[in-house]
Amino acid sequence: MIEPLALPLQTTVSALEAALLAFVLGCAVIAAVLRDVLGVIIAAAAYSLGVAVIWVVLRAPDVALTEAAVGAGVTTLLFLLTIAKTVNPTDERSLELPSVGSGAALLAFVLVLGSTVPAMPAIGGSPVTDGEVSQYYLEHAHEQTEVDNVVTAVLAAYRGFDTLGEAVVVFSAGVAVLVVLQREVFV
Amino acid sequence: MILESLLTQYNYVAVVALLGIGLYMIVESTNLVKKVIGLNVFQTGIFLLFITAAYVEGGAAPVLTNEAPYVSPLPHVLILTAIVVGVSLVAVALALIVRIYGAYGTLDEDVLREVRANE
Repeated sequence: MIEPLALPLQTTVSALEAALLAFVLGCAVIAAVLRDVLGVIIAAAAYSLGVAVIWVVLRAPDVALTEAAVGAGVTTLLFLLTIAKTVNPTDERSLELPSVGSGAALLAFVLVLGSTVPAMPAIGGSPVTDGEVSQYYLEHAHEQTEVDNVVTAVLAAYRGFDTLGEAVVVFSAGVAVLVVLQREVFV
Repeated sequence: MILESLLTQYNYVAVVALLGIGLYMIVESTNLVKKVIGLNVFQTGIFLLFITAAYVEGGAAPVLTNEAPYVSPLPHVLILTAIVVGVSLVAVALALIVRIYGAYGTLDEDVLREVRANE
């Protein structure tokens, strides 16, 4: 393992990454404390967009595209349709701050989870990336599938059945929505 | 130690914070729509854990026309699947919420509990 003080090899937080994380966490906190649901949905959309930019910084362009289209786009649309069909609560309180009890429980949860953070590998030097499976995909994707984007190759070829299962989940969800809403067509 | 974590393991610190915020929204919000948004935030925290684990310092996106080294493609594929499954989950949850509103006329958890107790 890398010595904890061998800092030159490790990546430290850049200004861009720090700004993005601050933006994303800020949006999440705003979403958590606002009572106006429309405001929460807008904060969640901004949050999703920030997360999509983080995926680009972490060199995951496929995930970023999906997050921007599905997370910031489709999900936001679904939430907006829902409050258009239901209600946006209006009362005097604009903020929803944690009570003492829930604040303590939240703090305990974060501290327990946070105590595992120092045991994680430094960012950029994770053992996952040297794994046999990852390396196999990177070495053989081109000759076996003739697709240069390895993520596409894995999604559509190596783990094709997984993607079929995903399509089944989406289909089931579509049917479930129609059944729950007692309708026969979406539009 | 905390400062060192912030400098070299900042994304994992953010993961913990996002999981905390998401769980808080799921448990503490009385509005059902906000609970679903909390579910989304919690989920994205897990995604950040996976995508960070795939990252290689100085690595390129896993497209073979780029120069090696590449970041690991496998967590990206898993998270792509998870995003799509997540949106399916949100769609069904929101459909249930629309039906609950149709039946009870409220989306507030506390009011809903009272109405159901009086039935």
